[in-house]
Amino acid sequence: MASFIPNLEPRPDTSPEFKRKKRRKTYENPGPCYPTQGNQRIKRWRTLREQHIYSSKLIEALCRSRRTSSSAAAKEVHETADRVLAISDKGTTRWSRAILTSRLHAGAKLRKHKKAKVTANTRLQKPQINGEKRKLTVVERKLKVLRRLVPGCRKLSFSNLIEETTDYIAALEMQVRAMTAITEHLASALGGGAQPPANRLGSNVNS
Amino acid sequence: MSSRRSRSRQSDVSRITDHQITDLISKLQQLIPELRGRRSDEVSASKVLQETCNYIRSLHREVDDLSDRLSQLLASTDTDSAQAAIIRSLLM
Repeated sequence: MASFIPNLEPRPDTSPEFKRKKRRKTYENPGPCYPTQGNQRIKRWRTLREQHIYSSKLIEALCRSRRTSSSAAAKEVHETADRVLAISDKGTTRWSRAILTSRLHAGAKLRKHKKAKVTANTRLQKPQINGEKRKLTVVERKLKVLRRLVPGCRKLSFSNLIEETTDYIAALEMQVRAMTAITEHLASALGGGAQPPANRLGSNVNS
Repeated sequence: MSSRRSRSRQSDVSRITDHQITDLISKLQQLIPELRGRRSDEVSASKVLQETCNYIRSLHREVDDLSDRLSQLLASTDTDSAQAAIIRSLLM
């Protein structure tokens, strides 16, 4: 009996601490280490709770933006949705930070400058790395396309890029699910159920 | 030999082992619905990356379509009734 107790006590104390230390290490060294922390983040995107939080934040942001500007262009809605998605990530991943900073800096000018710099660097670097001509392999070409698709990952290493991609895909899937639910609710509420509340209120007439 | 050593000093890519690369790519493969069921030795790395890019592009397009529909729905009605309708439906 006495031998069980000291075995039980240190384990619940050390295991969460050990996990916390592991998490701290992975944040400090962005190298090729990818423990369960990435899986936990992806599982978070898949929970219903996260989807509900995102939906309510998105609705709030959309109503706020509609009050300020009367037009509700599709691009504006898309940008709002992306911004709320980046906010709900709370800055843990690179793509979310890239989305938020690109909105702040009015991204078009910065992106043009960055593109010019990147192409100049690649033109200079290509003959320097090897003495011979270097053609991009198939995998490298695909990685280049992937880097363009995921925001904020243009200069990332291979393992970090894959990690960002997995998180980005999970987040995009949640965005699609949440927006589908909102559109369906809105369509059904406005199409079918709009008439009884209008009768109750007496003021709104939807033709 | 000497070229390999100089390359490892210049870039970090060669420090990642092949095992880690295949691990990461199989992890990516599990996320993509088209490639989920297949074994990892059947699908090449370039195919996984290609399908990843296609999947991300299709997700972007879906979000585009959804935001289009959402903007049309929001434009056809005023803000307060839309908000009330959504909240009501979410609560139910």
